[in-house]
Amino acid sequence: MRNCDDIRERLALYLDNELQGDERAAVEAHTQSCQSCASFVEKERAFLNAIRSSGPLHVAPPSLQTKVGAIVNGPKTAASASWRQWILPVAAGLLVLLLPVVVWRVVRQPTRPENGAPSAFALMAAESHLRHTRGHLPLEVESSNPQHISEWFTNKVGFNVKLPSYQESSGQEILYTLEGARLVGFQNDYAAYVSYHMKDRLISLVITSELLARPSGGEEIASRGLRFHYNAIDGLKVITWSDRGLTYALVSDLEERGQQSCIVCHQGTKDQDFIEPLKPH
Amino acid sequence: METPGSNSVFGLAALEHIDALYGYAMTLTRDKTEAEDLVQETYLRAVRAANHPAPEGNLKAWLFVVMRNAWFNIARHKHHGLQLFQFEADEPTGGIANDASSNPHVVYLRKLERQQIHEAIDKLPDAYREIVVLRDLEGFSYHEIATVLNCPAGTVMSRLGRARGKLREALSQRQKVHRLYG
Repeated sequence: MRNCDDIRERLALYLDNELQGDERAAVEAHTQSCQSCASFVEKERAFLNAIRSSGPLHVAPPSLQTKVGAIVNGPKTAASASWRQWILPVAAGLLVLLLPVVVWRVVRQPTRPENGAPSAFALMAAESHLRHTRGHLPLEVESSNPQHISEWFTNKVGFNVKLPSYQESSGQEILYTLEGARLVGFQNDYAAYVSYHMKDRLISLVITSELLARPSGGEEIASRGLRFHYNAIDGLKVITWSDRGLTYALVSDLEERGQQSCIVCHQGTKDQDFIEPLKPH
Repeated sequence: METPGSNSVFGLAALEHIDALYGYAMTLTRDKTEAEDLVQETYLRAVRAANHPAPEGNLKAWLFVVMRNAWFNIARHKHHGLQLFQFEADEPTGGIANDASSNPHVVYLRKLERQQIHEAIDKLPDAYREIVVLRDLEGFSYHEIATVLNCPAGTVMSRLGRARGKLREALSQRQKVHRLYG
């Protein structure tokens, strides 16, 4: 067995996921039997988590994003410049012709804004999912026990984390398993990030207080008294909803469109009242 | 004619890292205007070189290398005299208290903590701030950081240790002040 000095020298490598195989196992074996080193590891982990969860120092201003967008989309050619001279009058003409059709469609479906922009919360959830899949957002706690995960968040976020338990409470077959959780930054506060696995797919659930984020945008569907908003962001499906004071965002790379992606996780349910509204009509 | 940079796949993938690149540019320049210029220069260079293979296929790390090289060129022309390699031996190790608290003001304290962390990172010497940003905020591995900084992985490890020691010490001092006057 290695001594404490040896372990503490390698602690940064361990916490930075730079140790693999036997070396990693040696650190873990030592900290399981040495209370002093285990306490040291937890303090270091808390310190690093505080730094890593503090969020980005800076965000690119929109004007810079526009300029860079023009750079990566390539230089404008002479042809494209002349194209701009006639496209505006043509577009204006088309607008006049199509305006009655557009107005008629909007009036016909006044309560279903299908293509609203995704909320900031949905965008953050998609970004967190991508970062986790790329290994840039490691979990701070790993457990398949929902109770354990909920307890881990106690006093770390300003709300009680209630994980959805439909799979467990409805008696449907087990299709996905809980992997672990961590904190993520949102609106100058912490949100709860929870990771699930369904076969070889990763599913992310991000939770915050309803006071900080309300579901909006995208395709809206009502089911069982809840209103779900479906967005496609960077090739991901993001579903947001609020329930009992919390707002949830579920992110996956499922190919199914809109509410049909719900059926993938809930296909094992025998509850037809739940599943029927989600099927395509 | 379509340039390599006008490839929409490359463009979309590269644009995904604009916030990270702007953050790194702010770390290098400490000036918003210079940071914006550096980001644009980086994307211009990346577009020109987009057909060259990124190091081990990691586009983000490659963009950071492009940015750092661009910054060296710009700074050399402006005679800035970069201070990117400040070393201090045997930094003391401090500690931050376990922040789990049942205090009802926990959310406020979290915000305060985050603000203090950002201020403490901002006040680190250039080389230390750079390596903390690369590892702890951008999530690069030691190997990727070594590629970006063009230095051995051992240097990454030792510099990161010293940078975190300084950061820990700064945050520890702030906590003491906060306890005295808070």
